[in-house]
Amino acid sequence: MIAAMIQASTTTADIMKAGLMEEIFSERTLQATGPFMALSFGILLLVLAEIVPGLQLLRKLIFIATLGVAGWCAWKTIGAPEAWVFEDTYVANSTTGWWTMLFLAATFIAWLFGQRYYKAESALEGEHDLLMMSACAGMVLMAGSRDLLVFFVGLELLSVPLYTLSAFQRSRRESVEAGLKYFVLGAFAAATYLFGSALVYAGTGTLTFKAINPADLGGPLVIAGAALIAASLFFKVSVFPFHMWVPDVYQGAPAPVTTFMATGTKAAAFAFLVPAAAALLPYESKHLAAVIALVTMAVGNFGALVQTDLKRLLAYSGVAHAGTLLLAIAALQGEPGPDAAMRAVLFYMAAYVFTAGGAFGLVTMLESQTGRAVTIDSIKGLAAKRPGIAAALALFMLSLGGIPATGGFLGKYLVFSLAVRSDLLVVALIGIVLSVVALAYYLRVIVALYMQPEMDGKPVPTQARALSGLVAFACAVMVLALGLVPAWFLDSLR
Amino acid sequence: MNFLSLTVLIFLPLVGALLVAATPSKAVGLQRGITLLTMFATGVIGIMLCLDFNGASAAAQHVEQRPWFTLPGGIPVAYKLGLDGLSVLMVALTALLGPIVMLSTWGHIHERVKEFMVWLLVMQTGMLGVFLSLDLVLFYTFWEVSLVPLYFILGIWGGSNRLYATIKFFLYTVFGSLVMLIAVIWLMYRFGTTDIVQLTNVAANLPGDVQLWLFAAFALAFSIKVPLMPFHTWLADAHTEAPTSGSVILAGVLLKMGTYGLLRFCIAMFPAAAIEAAPLMMALGAIGIVYGAFLAMAQTDIKRLVACSSVSHLGYVVLGLFAMTAAGLRGGLLQMVNHGLSTGMLFLLIGMIYERRHTRALDQYGGIASVMPVYALFFVIAVLSSVGLPGLNGFVGEYLVLLGTYERAPILAAIAVTGVIFGAVYLLMATRKLLFGPLVLQANKTLTDLRAREVVLMLPIVVLMVWMGVAPNTFLARTEGSLVDLTQRLDRARAVRTAELIRENETRPTVADAEESQNR
Repeated sequence: MIAAMIQASTTTADIMKAGLMEEIFSERTLQATGPFMALSFGILLLVLAEIVPGLQLLRKLIFIATLGVAGWCAWKTIGAPEAWVFEDTYVANSTTGWWTMLFLAATFIAWLFGQRYYKAESALEGEHDLLMMSACAGMVLMAGSRDLLVFFVGLELLSVPLYTLSAFQRSRRESVEAGLKYFVLGAFAAATYLFGSALVYAGTGTLTFKAINPADLGGPLVIAGAALIAASLFFKVSVFPFHMWVPDVYQGAPAPVTTFMATGTKAAAFAFLVPAAAALLPYESKHLAAVIALVTMAVGNFGALVQTDLKRLLAYSGVAHAGTLLLAIAALQGEPGPDAAMRAVLFYMAAYVFTAGGAFGLVTMLESQTGRAVTIDSIKGLAAKRPGIAAALALFMLSLGGIPATGGFLGKYLVFSLAVRSDLLVVALIGIVLSVVALAYYLRVIVALYMQPEMDGKPVPTQARALSGLVAFACAVMVLALGLVPAWFLDSLR
Repeated sequence: MNFLSLTVLIFLPLVGALLVAATPSKAVGLQRGITLLTMFATGVIGIMLCLDFNGASAAAQHVEQRPWFTLPGGIPVAYKLGLDGLSVLMVALTALLGPIVMLSTWGHIHERVKEFMVWLLVMQTGMLGVFLSLDLVLFYTFWEVSLVPLYFILGIWGGSNRLYATIKFFLYTVFGSLVMLIAVIWLMYRFGTTDIVQLTNVAANLPGDVQLWLFAAFALAFSIKVPLMPFHTWLADAHTEAPTSGSVILAGVLLKMGTYGLLRFCIAMFPAAAIEAAPLMMALGAIGIVYGAFLAMAQTDIKRLVACSSVSHLGYVVLGLFAMTAAGLRGGLLQMVNHGLSTGMLFLLIGMIYERRHTRALDQYGGIASVMPVYALFFVIAVLSSVGLPGLNGFVGEYLVLLGTYERAPILAAIAVTGVIFGAVYLLMATRKLLFGPLVLQANKTLTDLRAREVVLMLPIVVLMVWMGVAPNTFLARTEGSLVDLTQRLDRARAVRTAELIRENETRPTVADAEESQNR
């Protein structure tokens, strides 16, 4: 911790020497940090909107406009030459540009599904939007950082609002419980992370990836540090054995927040996990990582098999997906290299954000309409009453299961092809068997939707909610687009 | 725009599905009309394309190729379609069965008609896509996508135990195809292409043990689909629970995707491995023939009986294909079509009687030939075609298969011949119990004979059965070029293998060499 602070102060001093103003206001820096700046400015505006009377009416407009401006800034960095700024601690290139777009999409999806969700807390919705936007800014910072300390700032900027958001429904016991649980474990993970960074600093003399001398990597301090950092990141992306909190928190937290956590947080942590693993993990960790990936897939898939609550089911499925993605991290130590791994992870997460975002979103909608938890029983016969919603949910399940023509398939395909290319053939085969297990519970949802009659006493809601339906439709279109015409996305990644 | 193109053929049903989806759910007549029209148009286009096909050439025809996307690592994936001698009969069969299946739905689909029509049309797109894809990724996409409609058809309109059957069917097949996916990935990155034609040319040069692994991965997926003997348990459940039209599609076309895959990938792409594995595959085929026949004999449910007979009949296909002789390959291909026609027709007929009596137990029938003479006529034709009566299609296929097998493995041919006898036994026994004997049960006395629609939908099948039985060359001629090419590939692989064996024998020190060196 102390080492980290020393590093921070020296970095600041160096920047002072180089001329702080020129550094910050150079065109390159502005372009690189554009999305983050836009979001920060948006946060300030949201705060203002809360204080200044009359401005409250503009809150939603500010939220959408900020996301739009940030998206435009991110769009500018896609295809532009790579820009390293702030002493090589932060980078902007096509990949981070797409990651940013993805975070903005995840935020927007969760936010849209959250409209009219809160009843008792509707007076506090301004606070809710504010926290969501801060978390989004944190994610953007995480994806671009190539320095352990800069990442930590982003991580906290994301986590602290999320703790609050999880406990946002303060009248509901489960929500408060989820918030507390997430906070305690999250704080512990943060401490682990800092301790790990300190060890890495002690072993290499720097926190910036570019400055690390590869010769220092084999040392015991660095390995211990990297392991601690990995543990805390595994906590964030819900990898075994740090996944226990996921089902409880996902179930307890307000559904829009769960949507946000399941998609955005996971994406942001993986966006950093790839470069961090490339910089810190030694080649020998490949097989260990692969084994952890398989165990995570097994835990997630077998856990999901027995769930009846849809949020819990999706939570376990999220654990399994984190395991699949970890396979890409394991493979990056092999022949394909970190760039290929980054592309695969980005594509996979893009498909996942829209798929899981849409699925959680529909659960949000059903939950807020019936006022009860959404279970397999309660969605029985939904196809007869609400064919559109059922079709979208079925599509999301097929995409999560990795059936072709959906984005989920292509993502899985890319990850498994990485594994095959880096000689993890057996691992890939076991992973394949585990995905068959996964299909069993995704199919159970479709069976309930289409093939079973409505349960007595659990009528499905019959009214449509136009906005949620529209967002779900947009998500479905994206899932199909990523599966059927992926050229535009894949080509821009090269 | 050229309307006679493979793209139109594949995606016309999908367009129809979108149209049907856009209709109000009460407008059942409109939905059926659109579906029938689309299926009919697809059938006409498909058959015209197959007629406009030069069988003497081995090259793919009507080829359409467009870049689709590029995978990381710079591997281009193309949207590539083509018709060749291996796929032409399958495409014709699929195109033909489409409208027939559609006509049969009038009798048994009364609930959620719109959804059913949508799935039926999507299914048609998926199946045609499987047979016409010449790109590995495209093939895989269609292969998996075609699972989904059948999953819904089984799960929504199936019998009482449908949920078990549908999930079993899905998980079995998905497991096989995912193992295949790993092999697909390996192949792509090894050769940097996903073009099936190119891969077929280069994959044959892979070393024998690598080919064997790839062969095993592909063969697993296809054997589950066929289904070959140890993987057959999903089939009986799926057939028993499926609605008539589902059974017809399943038996008529879907299972053929498995045998087609065995031919196009396992045999054509990895010839050396296929030669190595042929004894095993042929043995499984022969076991399937006899085992399926025994299973069928023990059934009291007429639909389950026909389902088990499928296992037996597909055993012939596998036997013929893996004999890998000129006669065996032709017989296997022909038998694929025969099975589609005869078993498909049997399922249609069982569906028709089920719609009238709502039971499939054989002991509930007897003597209905006297009240339903037209029905009895068609039933007997289908049974005779299925047991291989000379003059009908089944005979030609079975004869060629047995001939081809005899050249390679006389013992297996002998075992397979017993299957012909058993086949006659269980099918004729079932026919007697169903149609002949005294008309005892009151419910059977009031049965009405076939309606015009039901007769019309079976006529084309009967015409084809006779045609294929009398002049099979009309059909075989179209596969000639591709099969000759395939036989040459196999001969080359055999020659290479023989040369290797000889070299191994030469380099291996013999006892005489050892003694000689000791003496020296």
